[in-house]
Amino acid sequence: MTDPAAPIFERARALVDDYTLGAVKAWKAAHPGALAVGHMPVYTPRPLIEATGSLPVAVFGGGDSLDIIRGDSYFQSYICHIPRSTVELGLGGHLDALDGMVFPSICDVIRNLGGMWKMLFPQKYVAYLDLPQNFDKDVGGRFYTSELRRIARELAGRGARTLDADALLGAIARENERRVTLEQLDAVRRAEPWRLRATEAYVAVRAGSVMPAEEHTRLLREILAAVKLRTARPVDNVRVVLVGSFCEQPPFELIRALEKAGCDIVEDDFQLGMRMIDGPIEPCAGEDPVEALSRAFLERGRASASRYIDRNEKGADLVARVHACAADGVIFAAASFCDPALLDQPMLEAALERAGIPHTSFKFAENTGQFQVIREQAGAFSDAVKLWGPAGAPVAAQEASV
Amino acid sequence: MSGTSVTAGIDCGSSAIKVAIARSHVGEGGELLATSVQRIRRRNVHDVARAAFGEACAAAGVGLPDFAYVASTGDADVIDFATGHFYGMTTHARGALHLFPAARGALDMGALHARAIKMDERGKVLGHRMTSQCASGSGQFLENIARYLGVPLEDVGALSMQAKPVEEVSSICAVLAETDVINMVSRGMTAGEILKGIHLSIAGRLVRLLRSAGAEGVVTLTGGLAADVGLIACIRELVAKELAGPKKKKLAPIEVCAHEHSILAGAIGAALLGAYRHDQLLKRGKLALAAGAALAP
Repeated sequence: MTDPAAPIFERARALVDDYTLGAVKAWKAAHPGALAVGHMPVYTPRPLIEATGSLPVAVFGGGDSLDIIRGDSYFQSYICHIPRSTVELGLGGHLDALDGMVFPSICDVIRNLGGMWKMLFPQKYVAYLDLPQNFDKDVGGRFYTSELRRIARELAGRGARTLDADALLGAIARENERRVTLEQLDAVRRAEPWRLRATEAYVAVRAGSVMPAEEHTRLLREILAAVKLRTARPVDNVRVVLVGSFCEQPPFELIRALEKAGCDIVEDDFQLGMRMIDGPIEPCAGEDPVEALSRAFLERGRASASRYIDRNEKGADLVARVHACAADGVIFAAASFCDPALLDQPMLEAALERAGIPHTSFKFAENTGQFQVIREQAGAFSDAVKLWGPAGAPVAAQEASV
Repeated sequence: MSGTSVTAGIDCGSSAIKVAIARSHVGEGGELLATSVQRIRRRNVHDVARAAFGEACAAAGVGLPDFAYVASTGDADVIDFATGHFYGMTTHARGALHLFPAARGALDMGALHARAIKMDERGKVLGHRMTSQCASGSGQFLENIARYLGVPLEDVGALSMQAKPVEEVSSICAVLAETDVINMVSRGMTAGEILKGIHLSIAGRLVRLLRSAGAEGVVTLTGGLAADVGLIACIRELVAKELAGPKKKKLAPIEVCAHEHSILAGAIGAALLGAYRHDQLLKRGKLALAAGAALAP
């Protein structure tokens, strides 16, 4: 029997692989005068951009299909890969369809990239979005609301629609629908990982980075309906939570390699921005929707390395997520030189050890092409968990030129 | 409901598919009911896997509903009817232990890679080392050279054993090693001498791999190259030389053992681990997974 979901995933994969943003160009052609605004990981409030009549476009770098020539000359060797490939994309004209870029606060590197972008592309709109690290609504909330209004105002100055409450409420409602559909997709993956692979869920989410929320919801519903029709049967794999890939994304084949090593990734932080807010954004009666957007981030923003968390709570969210999705262990997959992820990792590992949850870790770059060592490590981890239980310490893979 | 179960292990290697069917009683190991080895030889790998599995099932007199667990190892994508997958290193360790219960190490010598494994008395991997990506030192390389020399694969070991060691080939790079072989041929060296040189080179690399993995005591040779008597002789020769040499006090003794079923070690290990896992699933009440094999197409 042919796979009813295959053609939909093919379509989604084509969108993901197209770093020349063909879908964005098509959207702009269909919406003359509207802006397309790129944004870097981790989190940018997409409904705000949509409410100005613009298309938010998530930019995740060049992945493994782009040769970096000019990008390398802008960064030292100890800097991660995503800013290099983003510069390469920009200088190569692949991001010309974007009228502007928002650089949310992730780390110093992305902040610096924002500054470089201003100099490299003076004609484009460039904004640095300083996400609050104080979650008191009268302090961080007030600051964040003013930041959101500033960006909306600046976009309007570039030709976008002036932000109004009704438009933002509409955009929030569409985002909520997308969020609910994403949760349904996650629920399928958690309940029946053999029905929806992590690689497929990844593509389903990532395809939404170049389309409005409403269109993405339609695509996700199509996928949901198709995967339910699949003839699938249980496969005895270990259930893992993958963390550390919230900014630079691992190559698709790396995720596939983990699956082939016997790991069902039932929870992850890939493309975290798409799921940054836990649950729907719910404006209270009479509340300014910009404040509702801000409040959602303050109160229900997901724990991540780019968000301040009190020292005593570091790792608590991860442990809770492992329990919630009945995972057997955790894989830390951080991009090489990703300071936020790698600085957090020892604290998260300590929390897992206190909770008796097995874990393993490796690093990658978005253009990593060889997965043998990672496959060895994931396979050893999967078997250790499956056969010897949490007490079975994972065996570190080591490659020797002997 | 712990007890006796029939399980299958299917090892999808890069040049052959190996199948083992075992009847196991948890806690007491298992007995082999049937085995099958089929070379892929440019055929569709899925078809070869199904054919090998079917052949083993027929020999064991069992059908799909009889299996408690069908475990794949090697390339997971090839077997679409497996209950679960175990990693090659784990299955080779378990298979090595089945073939020689005293083994605490395994040397998996496959078509593309070699891997030295140190394990405990349950077959749990304690550490390992594998060769880097270059094909020199692998079964595929040896097979290619045998073809260039016009020597049937089954004669390689005997020819090598009859020859005197003259010189070794490069153990770092397959391209350099092939160049060495061309030079040897042009200098009039016999096929046996060339093969001996290759065997010594591969054996040197494998012994270093074993040492770096910390293997000691009985080491089971597994994988396709474990059928090459010439290579086994060279490995034994080098181990003995090491243990008689100046570093002998620092080196743990190693006894290298090969078995007629060495090529099946991965499949045997997968079948036995499948039985163990099946028992665990039953104990944990995961009946849907435990019944996975019965749902196979």
